[in-house]
Amino acid sequence: MIDYQRSKKIVTPVFVLLFIVMGGMILLPAQQEVRIRIREGMPMIPVALPEFHFIENSIRDNELKNELYDVLWKDLRYSRVFKLVPKEHYKYIQKFNPDNIIYKDWASIQANILISGKLEVSGEQRIIFSFKVYDVKSEKFILGRNFGGKKEFVRLIAHRAADEMMKHFGEKPIYTSKVVFVSDREGSDEIYIMDFDGKRQKRITFNDYIDLMPSWSSDNEKIMYTSYRRGTPELYIFHLYTGKTGLISTGGVNYSADWSPEDDRIVYTSSKNDGNTEIYLRNMKTGKEKRLTFNRVIDTSPGWSPSGKEIVFTSQRSGTPQIYTMGEEGTNVRRITYEGTYHDNAVWSPDGTRVVYVSRIEARFDVYVYNLKNNTIAKLTENAGRNENPTWSPDGRHLIFSSNRSGRYQLYTIDYDGSNLKQLTSKGENKMPKWQKK
Amino acid sequence: MKRVSIILLMVVSLFFFTDSCKKKVKTEPVKEPEKIERVEETTPRIDRPVLTEEEIFEKKSLEELNAEGNLRKIHFDFDKYDVKDDMKPILHRNADWLLKHGSAVITIEGHCDERGTIEYNMALGEKRAKTTRDFLESLGVTGIRMQVVSYGKNKPIVRGVDEQTHYRNRRCEFVIIRK
Repeated sequence: MIDYQRSKKIVTPVFVLLFIVMGGMILLPAQQEVRIRIREGMPMIPVALPEFHFIENSIRDNELKNELYDVLWKDLRYSRVFKLVPKEHYKYIQKFNPDNIIYKDWASIQANILISGKLEVSGEQRIIFSFKVYDVKSEKFILGRNFGGKKEFVRLIAHRAADEMMKHFGEKPIYTSKVVFVSDREGSDEIYIMDFDGKRQKRITFNDYIDLMPSWSSDNEKIMYTSYRRGTPELYIFHLYTGKTGLISTGGVNYSADWSPEDDRIVYTSSKNDGNTEIYLRNMKTGKEKRLTFNRVIDTSPGWSPSGKEIVFTSQRSGTPQIYTMGEEGTNVRRITYEGTYHDNAVWSPDGTRVVYVSRIEARFDVYVYNLKNNTIAKLTENAGRNENPTWSPDGRHLIFSSNRSGRYQLYTIDYDGSNLKQLTSKGENKMPKWQKK
Repeated sequence: MKRVSIILLMVVSLFFFTDSCKKKVKTEPVKEPEKIERVEETTPRIDRPVLTEEEIFEKKSLEELNAEGNLRKIHFDFDKYDVKDDMKPILHRNADWLLKHGSAVITIEGHCDERGTIEYNMALGEKRAKTTRDFLESLGVTGIRMQVVSYGKNKPIVRGVDEQTHYRNRRCEFVIIRK
């Protein structure tokens, strides 16, 4: 429906051309050609979300109902899959009655999908949310779910409903996904966990040593992180549901681990053998290790491709830190950044088509997305402090990164095309976010 | 007239009386001393003991040794980890101290300024600590006496955005951990 690129080209072809030429010549003389590209994709689906009803005989709790509605509204608006028909338009049609849906009314205000919600509040702090989805054009009921739980889980209930919407339309659910990060809000750097939207932040390590660089296991039940609790950086596993912590004894100084999204293998940086920082692969089940890089310069920041078959990393082998990819055997090394003198923090997108990384130009760090298919680069942040450690949402439509644009480092979310920037944290300094991979 | 003669008589008689008393006191003539008596100090004499440098070193706590600044920190160029020429004299002095105090074990901490990413600075800090250790080793300090650790940009000395701040933060620090 809306082909952003095409319409832009038709309306302002001269401006686009001018921007590219001037941008390439004046603003970024030493850089690869940078273009802001909007990813081609399905147009967003217009959804109407009328006010929820209380189920008869249930206790009326308007605050709870409004919170549930508000969270679901914000989730759908964040999706980039759905677009919400503005609430003001509902005034022009008859009031929504879940027992007698007048589809033509909803079609008249451009809604393709209609969501009906009913809330039951029972005495013992429990709620049941009944959620029904209708296709307006075919006038059919297409999806229905009931979610029950304690009142305090009202946000989770809304997120579950939003996840069901994503799944029904063939998208990866992201609304119950979590993000781990590092915060010094209570003194030393410790690991914290939060919902994807920055809500319900909670501390999970309590050792008062420096804890850094968390990474999710493929089953989302364990976190691997780097800690100084024995004086030098070493890798630890934290089991989220048992609370147990274990040291990964690999000898030497180890940090910056990334867990394969497919199995129990990690890649990490270590200087254990010849004293130089190299990248190693370790099978967590067998304890078997393999060294992947061999040179006298810095190799670091390894990260898996979504297939678990390739690794993206930073190497100084050409003189300055640049981004490379290699196979799981350390072979087929391919350099993907050429211009510029400083790149790091590369993370492969969940669909495998893009790599996000940080580039430094004149002491500014910005987040860039490199498209592996057509070799184009999009710049996501500009002229706003240092921007570091980007991490993809499980569906690849959003990123969370840290930035000191407001003074201290805080976490922000931004969409793949640089839109919808929003700050997620504010207490202390917050950095090194890692979104669940799936 | 009679009264006056009585007073006169009394004064005269008093005079004679005192004169007769004086004659009764025997005085010995003072002789030149022949013997030299020895006078000695009565306060017990305890000298402040003169400690050897080793003994002084033994007495100090690790905190005191570190606070004294026996081992000075060195700084690096932006994005570099080789030891700068103007830092070599400092490392020579640090090596002299370490050779003199052969039991001291140190940690060399590598630090970076904030103009690098967290991950890359971890590696850079480690490289800085290691080239520093190698330099000290070339001056005769045994490698096993020197541990290295990188803090990347996680422990800046000063906060700020100017070059002077960055310079101060790009450093290796020497911490005595055993003696």
